[in-house]
Formats: sequence, C-alpha cells, structure tokens
Amino acid sequence: MYPARMNLIRIKSTKIGLILLTMLAVSCSLPTVNTDQYHGVKTTENASNGPVTELHRLAISASNQQQYDQSVSYLQRAIKIEPRNARSWYYLAQSYWYKKSYRQCLDMIERSYSYSSVEDGLDNANDELKTQCMVG
Amino acid sequence: MVEFLMANKPISKPSSNSKLRAKVKQPQTKFRSDRLQSKKPASIQKNNRFRRYLIGFIVFTLIAFSGYLFFLNHLISQRFDGDTWALPSRIYARPLELYTGMSLDYESLKFELKLSTYQRGHKKLKPGQYRLLKQSIDLFTQDFEYSDSVEPGRLVNIEFSGDKVTAIKDLVSNKPIKLHRLPPAIIGSYHPQNGEDRLLLASDRIPQKLQQILIAVEDQQFFNHFGINPISIARALIANVRAGKTVQGGSTLTQQLAKNLFLTSERSLLRKINEAFMALLLEARFSKQTILAAYINEVFLLQQNKIAIHGFELASQRLFKQSIEQLSTDKLALLVGMVKGPSSYNPMAHPAAALTRRNLVLRVMRDEKVIDQTEYSHLIRQPLGTVKRLPGVNPFPAYVDLVKRQLKSSYSSSELSAKGLRIFTPFDPLIQRALHQGLENGLSRFGQPDLQAAVVIADYLNGDIQALIGDKQVDYPGFNRAVMAQRPIGSLIKPLLLYSLLEGDRSLATLVNDKAINIKQSDGKVWTPRNYDRQFHGKMSLYQAFVKSYNLPFVHFGVQGGLEALVKNLERIDLLKHEVVYPSILLGTSAMSAFEVAQMYQVIANNGYFTPLTTIRQVSDKDNRVLDRIPLKSQKIFNQSQMIQVQRAMVGVVEEGTARYLNTRFKGQSLAGKTGTTNDTRDSWFSGFSDRLLGVVWLGNDDNKSIKLTGSSGALRVWADIMAQQKFKPFKISRDAALEWRYINRKNGGLTKQHCANSVLLPFIKSQIPTGRSACE
Repeated sequence: MYPARMNLIRIKSTKIGLILLTMLAVSCSLPTVNTDQYHGVKTTENASNGPVTELHRLAISASNQQQYDQSVSYLQRAIKIEPRNARSWYYLAQSYWYKKSYRQCLDMIERSYSYSSVEDGLDNANDELKTQCMVG
Repeated sequence: MVEFLMANKPISKPSSNSKLRAKVKQPQTKFRSDRLQSKKPASIQKNNRFRRYLIGFIVFTLIAFSGYLFFLNHLISQRFDGDTWALPSRIYARPLELYTGMSLDYESLKFELKLSTYQRGHKKLKPGQYRLLKQSIDLFTQDFEYSDSVEPGRLVNIEFSGDKVTAIKDLVSNKPIKLHRLPPAIIGSYHPQNGEDRLLLASDRIPQKLQQILIAVEDQQFFNHFGINPISIARALIANVRAGKTVQGGSTLTQQLAKNLFLTSERSLLRKINEAFMALLLEARFSKQTILAAYINEVFLLQQNKIAIHGFELASQRLFKQSIEQLSTDKLALLVGMVKGPSSYNPMAHPAAALTRRNLVLRVMRDEKVIDQTEYSHLIRQPLGTVKRLPGVNPFPAYVDLVKRQLKSSYSSSELSAKGLRIFTPFDPLIQRALHQGLENGLSRFGQPDLQAAVVIADYLNGDIQALIGDKQVDYPGFNRAVMAQRPIGSLIKPLLLYSLLEGDRSLATLVNDKAINIKQSDGKVWTPRNYDRQFHGKMSLYQAFVKSYNLPFVHFGVQGGLEALVKNLERIDLLKHEVVYPSILLGTSAMSAFEVAQMYQVIANNGYFTPLTTIRQVSDKDNRVLDRIPLKSQKIFNQSQMIQVQRAMVGVVEEGTARYLNTRFKGQSLAGKTGTTNDTRDSWFSGFSDRLLGVVWLGNDDNKSIKLTGSSGALRVWADIMAQQKFKPFKISRDAALEWRYINRKNGGLTKQHCANSVLLPFIKSQIPTGRSACE
C-alpha cells in the first residue's frame, strides 16, 4: 500500500510542478510594460525631521490635549505642503472621528487609501478607522 | 369829625351830607392780603414777581441743560460702549510657510516681502525689516496672531541655492528652524459705507514718541486740563481778534476728538459749545490714555481715491510701508504735521509743503525739549522717506470679487464692512504674479486690442483657488469674466464625455467611426455636426478620436446612450445648466464660466474626488475668534480607474494631439490638458494640469465676434506663457491596482508591441483589455 501511495503522491507533485513550470514560462513570454514614464517615482516625504513630520507631531500633541480644531489646522497645513501624504489624510480622518464628524472622517479615509502604499503600512489602520466612522 | 388820611390824596372839603356820612361811616371788613398789600409798596411786589420768574427760569434751564448733557452723554455711550468705529474687514493671502527644501527662490521671497509691509533695513534689523545678502536674506518677521496660535516674530536667515531654500536659521539662538509661517499680506478690504479705512492701534502699542510729539504740537497741557483749556481759548481769541481772522486754535486734543467723532467741521458757536461740553464729558468718563488712543485711531490723515485714511497706523503703512512702531522720529513728525491739513500737507501731492510742515513740527519738538538741538539738526536734513506711489487699494480685484461673492451667502454687507473681520484665503501672490506676467506675454502676440481674457488657477488636490483674473487689464475692478462670463465651452466637455462613455463597457481601445451623422431634434430641426477640419476620418480607437478632438465619433456615441450618461455626470457636479438638453451639448454648446470649468476639471485631475474650489479658508472676528472655518472637503463621486484612463487620454492630447505645442515648449514635463474652440472661433479655451496646478484660460470678445483663434492657437499659448513663469512638477498618473497597461494600435485598437507603428501605451480595466491583436508594421 505504502509504495502505491508514494507513487500517487509523486505523480501529483509532478503534475503540480509541470503546471507551475508552464505558468512560469508563459509569464516570461509576456512583454514587460514599463509605465514609469507615466507613474514616476513616489515622492512621499520619509525624513523624520521634515516640515510635514513636524506638523504631524504638533497635530498629535494637540489631539492628545483634545484640541481637535487645532489638530485639523496643523494637518491641513501638512496637506498643503505634501498633498499626497497618506498619513496626513489618515490623521485628519482620525481628528474628524474625535470631533464626531463621521462623514468627513470617511471622506478623508478614502483619500488616505488612494495615496497609501504597502510601505506606508496604513491599510489596516485605515480599515479599522473606517469601521469606527461607519459605526459612529 | 372823622377824617381819613390817605397818602397823597388831597383832603377834600366835606359836603354837609358827607359830613354826616363821614361821622357814621363804618370801617370796612378787609381781607388779610388786602390788609397786607395795602401795607407793602408796589416796588416790592414787583421784585417778588421777578424773583419767581427768575427761579422758574433757572430751574427750567437746569432741567434743559441736564437733558442736553444727558443727550451728549448718550451719544458718547453709544459710540464707546459698542464698536467705536466701523472697521473694514481685511482679506489676507495665504501665509507663506518656510521650510528647508521648499521650492522658493531669492527673488520670489523678495517679492513676497515687498507685497507685505516689510522694508529694507540696515545694520540692526527691527521687526518688519529685511536685509539682502548674496545668497540669503536676513529677515525680522513680525508677530502675527492666527486664530489657532500666535506665530511670534523671529530674526531668521533664509539661504537659497537656485530655486530652493537650503537652510533656515534662527539668528538669535543660531539653531535651524523646521518650519516658520510668514504673516500673510493683505490683498483687499471691505470698506464701511462712510468710505473710511483704518487699522486700529491698541493703547499699549502706541509709541511713546508719537504721544510726545502729538502733545507737544497739538496740546501741550493735555495731561493738565479737564477737556478744555480756558487759557488757550482766551489766547486764541485775542490772537484772532487782533488778526481779524482765525489764525490760532485753542482746541484741546479732547475737543478735536469730540468734533471728529460726533460733530461736523462747521464753524459756529453752537458747534463749539457742543464740542466743549462733549470734551468735558469725555474727560469725566475716560482716562487720558484712552482719549489719546481714541484720537490716534480717529484722526483723518490721508485721502486715497474714494477712501479716507483715518488713524496713524494705516497712514504709516500706506505712506511708509511700515507699522507706526517702526517709524523714525522724522516720519512721526511728518504724520503729526499732516493732522492740521491732510490735503495741504499730503506728501504725495505737495512734498515741499509737507517737508516745511514736518520741519516746523521738529522745531516745536526741539523747543518743547522732545528732541535736542543735535537731533533736530540731523532730522531736518532727512528726506520725507515716503513710498513713491501709494499701494493700490485693491490690486487683485477679480480675486477679491470672488471672495466677496463666496462670503455673501454667510455674511451681510454691514457685517463685512463694519465688523473688522479677518478673511483668510489661499491666494498665492507668486502664482498671481506669474499669471500677470504670462498673460501680458501671451496676449501681446495676438495684436487684438479688444481681445479679453479670464484665467483661473487652482490647486486641484485641496480645492484652493490660488490666482484669478477677470479682465485683460488685471487690476481693473470691473466685470469679472472668470466668474460672470458664461460662454460655450466647445471640446472642453470631451473629458467628462469620455468618462461617461468609459463608465459603460467601452475602453480607450474601443473602435469608433468618424463618419457623417444627422440628428432630428425634438423641435423638428436637423442637426448636422461636423469636425473642425470638415473631414471624415473613418474608423479609429476612442483614444485617437479624443486626442485629435474629432466631434463625430462622440456624437455617434452620444446618441447611443452617451448623452444621458453625460447629463447625469454634469448633474453630479452641479453643472447641468438647462432642463432641456440638446444633443449639441455633446460638443460643448453648454455655457460655463472659467470658474465652473475649473471645478469640472478639478474632479477629473483629482481622480474623481470632488473638492469644492474655494477662495476662503477661514473667517475670524477682529479679536481672532473663529467664525467660520472652511475645511478640506473631499467626496468620491467618480470611479478612479476610469478617471485615470481619461487623464491618460489628456496626456495624449499634449503628447500628440491638439495641445502638442506644450510638448515642444516644456520638453520632458508631462502635462495633461484639453483644447476647446467654439463655432466661428468665438471662444478659445484651454484647460490643463500639472502635478497639482490646474489652469483654465478663456479668450474671446465681449461682443461675441470671432477672434479667429482656436483653443490651440489662442488660449493654449497663453496657458503655456503663464506656466512658463512658475515652477511646476510634471503630471504623474496615480497607480491603480484595477488597471493594467497595454500597448495598442491607436488606429484599430488591437494589441500590439511597443516598437510597432501606431502603438500607444494605455491603461485598461482588466476585464476590458482588448483581445484582438494588431499586425506589427
């Protein structure tokens, strides 16, 4: 029995392997499309001491002191400097959540989604905040 | 015999009967008063009557006088207990945020500083001054109170390399600064109906020197009198009687204040009496400091066109572009000298008279020991130091007009013109400057003196309207074409139409047929649309039809459901103007203003997110309390993936279509746009965008005559000239996981390879990737 089962496993593995190899061959034959001329390179600020980071820090500090209007003010300044920074939009959504402006919270989250990337690591946070805003 | 002796009455000889009667005559019963009267002389009785009348008169006068004083006091209360002055509202530009790495060059910062009230300084800078160095600028910024915080003034150095700020340093602590907001410039005002303008100066900000000069020249006994100065009045009276005319005044500062606030300039005794009593009441109610501050804020100093400049602070800013706190002694002396004759001693109109008057004031200051001889000798040699030309009251009329329109729904005229509101806008002076220069360059090439223009420039990512003009004469405060002129938009409708078509099952590779079509309308008329070149071009991809701006393919699609989709999408952005929709709307016969076109393109450029375009970000009251905050709004109303396809097609318009002039002009800088031309070339339009800037340009004649310019040959060139005046980043399409990019043949829509003829790289929703292949030529 055991050798028969082993043979079956071997046949199945071979089949899977063949399928995988075929897929690899097919993908290699497709033309590579370089869209950099249209998309370009991401320009989100990464430096830890830039003006946007400073405004984020001020916004978080204001938020911690329940000064949500002040927090919104700082974040709007940050967005003015770097409008495609997903994190700014996320924090703005958060401030609106604190202010119980749930419609605006959802709108800001949509913008954060549209600018976020895997590197930002914001998708989970956006998902969670979106749920809270919808429930609110 | 009884005889009655009566005074002065002769004694008559009695008759025989009367003798008898006289004997028996009984004494008459008399009343007490009669008895008394009969005792008092007539003169005393008269005196008593006079006394009664006098007392009555005095009582009546006292009552009337009390009533009069009560009335005057009421006037004073009305004025001082509420808002003492009708304060104009101020409209501010955006504050310039300074940070290392920002895109800003040396000349641009200089321009910003000149627009604000900054002045060149020398050795030791004071607040509001700057010093130009080789590659950097030293700047002493002023405090500015925002509603959310006070940005304190700092002494900083800003270093440049090319068009970037490379470092910002605090010169006191010698430490780098991460972020610093410059106070925003004032770009316009709402003036009260009385035509007065002023900037209120708080009591604690009034320079000591100004007070000393004012008192020395106008009222040396100010701190000693009680509102009026009888000695001064008497002295003036004697001098005037001797001269036979008015050569000297005896009014105190308090009297002058009373006259300015409550009375007219009429030379009459009644007015003088009123003035005197009001001065007494003011002194009784308020401190000397309050009265002096009121005077400094009230006095009329300068006429600028229809606006009367009151108060030292605004006069200082207009004449010297400096705050009163920054003025030197000689400049203060000039302003004080102007009090006696704002017209006669206007330094702009009568510089010689102004100089003489200033030196007279300096002499009085020396005599009163406010300055010494050495300082006097130095100061009288100084020039007047005023600006060459008074700054325009409203140098950006079209933008300010739009601000006012957008405020009208929330604030009444009286609130705007009298409550001293502070209105913060996203106006960008640097972009407006680029707009002015570019427009001038652009229009000069056409040689058409009647040609008019309207331009709107906005940040499409956050909805800020940053610059705007409504007339080719940029400082003309008339008809604002950017907002008011409703003109057919022609092919500018096509991007939204393309989106409407892509919402269905079509893609950019969908084959279209550029052939003749006749449409019978509901009124029985037949509409026969044409291409601009009057040719038919056969079959091609939808992308190709779009970049070449052919009309007929879109009309064909329109009658197959595209029209309904377009109407629905116009409604979504509130741009559907008419209830009755004609098919010709497919070709842009709908009339819109440049502002409305900008709103439409804002959604297109922003991946389908609608953000209302606004000129207002915040309104505060005069004490900096927020009345209105206009937050960033963002509403997803169109599908991002499909909108990105539209954007790609608009990039194609620039790469190879009707706007390819931009490709030549701005090599390597990707832009997206669309041209528009109306029937008989009556209107020339272009709308285009870069990384975040959206610009809409309209050219046309007010009388609707042909300008013989298409969107490509007219508005596009002006747009290019405007963009050439400023720094911008290229437009980049957002990444979208729902899209895949493929090379297709633009003529037949089939899949092809990069190196094949007619290939173009386009995005597709995965389920819409073409399956047919095109032969590679």
